[in-house]
Amino acid sequence: MPDALLIARGVEAGYGSRQVLFGVDFDINEGEAVALLGANGSGKSTLLNALSGFVRPRRGSIRLDGMELAGLPPHRTFRRGIVQVSQARDLFPEMSVDENLRLGAWTKRGDAARLRDRVYASFPRLFERRGQMVRLMSGGEQQMVAIGRALMSEPRVLLLDEPSGGLAPAFVSEIAAIVAALKRQRVTMVMVEQNLRLALSVADRILVLRDGAVAEQRGGNADEEEIVRQIYL
Amino acid sequence: MLALLPQLVVSGTSTGMLYALIALSMTVVYRATTVVNFGHGDMVAAGAYAVFVFGLGFGLPFLVAMALAIALLFAAGFAAQRMLLQPIVAGPHLSLAMMALAIGYTLRGALRLQWGNETINPSRPYPQDVYLFGNVVVTTDDAVICGSVLLLLAALFLLLQVTPLGKVIQATFQSQRGAALVGINVPLFHALMWGGGAALGALGGVMLSLITPLTPDLGQWTLVQGFAAMTLGGFGSLGGAVAGGILLGITEKLLGFYVNTVFIEITGYLVPILVLMLRPQGLFGRRAVVRV
Ligand SMILES: Nc1ncnc2c1ncn2[C@@H]1O[C@H](COP(=O)(O)OP(=O)(O)O)[C@@H](O)[C@H]1O
Ligand SMILES: [Mg+2]
Repeated sequence: MPDALLIARGVEAGYGSRQVLFGVDFDINEGEAVALLGANGSGKSTLLNALSGFVRPRRGSIRLDGMELAGLPPHRTFRRGIVQVSQARDLFPEMSVDENLRLGAWTKRGDAARLRDRVYASFPRLFERRGQMVRLMSGGEQQMVAIGRALMSEPRVLLLDEPSGGLAPAFVSEIAAIVAALKRQRVTMVMVEQNLRLALSVADRILVLRDGAVAEQRGGNADEEEIVRQIYL
Repeated sequence: MLALLPQLVVSGTSTGMLYALIALSMTVVYRATTVVNFGHGDMVAAGAYAVFVFGLGFGLPFLVAMALAIALLFAAGFAAQRMLLQPIVAGPHLSLAMMALAIGYTLRGALRLQWGNETINPSRPYPQDVYLFGNVVVTTDDAVICGSVLLLLAALFLLLQVTPLGKVIQATFQSQRGAALVGINVPLFHALMWGGGAALGALGGVMLSLITPLTPDLGQWTLVQGFAAMTLGGFGSLGGAVAGGILLGITEKLLGFYVNTVFIEITGYLVPILVLMLRPQGLFGRRAVVRV
């Protein structure tokens, strides 16, 4: 079997004197959709931020295609293809949908138009609202812009932090459909998701984060109750 | 009395354009980094002294001296951010403001060491003339200052609104984390904006040196005027900084003439107090709260 695309070994990270991750190990294969589960405050966002460089790991190694990423700042991990949709979305609020998307590909100038057409093809709702200022959109629409913006750079690994978090039920199913479509296109994904049903429906594999380490790995057809027990008990 | 009103507005606009430029250069740094650069006035003063040294000291033509002064201040601003601010950027926000203040005082101290007891009257690189429009007098200084600032504003407007680089700058103003998420090197951006702010400030200093004698404490007064213009226009708004600067220039002339000449000195102190009490977001403000 070839080496995995993204390999984490012994990743430790935290904030000041508070350590959150105590040695995280995992392998993620090309084209795989992995759900990262864990209780509130278990360090899921911290782990995604360690992968993208917003949090600097204190120890351990994160390799993409064999190249070390640990310690690189976010703009460098981005260029290597680690692209994050963060929990707060972090869009450009005073700009239109179109401008937000284009900025997602500003590092690949020539390609922006083609990439944008592709994003609009998968998000017709964004195409309809392409001139609208993002600040004035609903949470669900903003989440679509955030995912679309991330896709603009054709990521090697897409990191999704609670894509359905705080959304109305109608939007949760729409986001679920989007994530499922990404999986069909074999976008490599690491998804943090509180909505277990959504997570289990798309994940090829499940990682459970507990006490700052990966406590459990399972296939995507895992039993919901069993997972809940793993996370919380 | 009222017959003098147009004249006061014209002279006020000319001073106001200078305030506008200084406020704008402070706003660039503030929007990019959310740090109020309390050392900015001294960077403006350093720009004024630099053009004096390059020009009269080294005997370079004025435009060359000006370009060198601007380049020097760009480098100084860039280096200050890289070496002094970036290392503490994760710390408390207040320490960034204190560091900016310390940078300003260091510059001021350096100017005092060299020119502590002198007042320098740089000479203008053009003949001093006056033009009469009806009974309104426009001096060459007025024309040079207004013309240069307007040109610069037009160039900045085009840069921000039309070019792809402008979009990247605006995006980073709006969300730093968003910018990092699309691959923008945010620390480098901060350093460039510190450099750019200092360069714009230096240009303000160059123009200031056309109409004001130079003393090492020039930065003190400059900071107050810039701060007042920013507050009046709305803290953090680029257009507001320009409008605030022009209004401040006109206001101090009107109050100074119709009420008491002391207002020419103190309007810059009174305006922030009044604005913060009556309309904290300023005339075109977007944020009511100033993070220090
Ligand atoms: N910027 C921060 N500074 C200090 N502590 C933080 C910060 N972000 C998160 N934490 C703490 O780290 C722990 C893990 O947080 P997080 O990774 O956000 O958890 P999760 O995403 O799993 O809910 C929590 O205890 C949280 O309070
Ligand atoms: Mg989280």
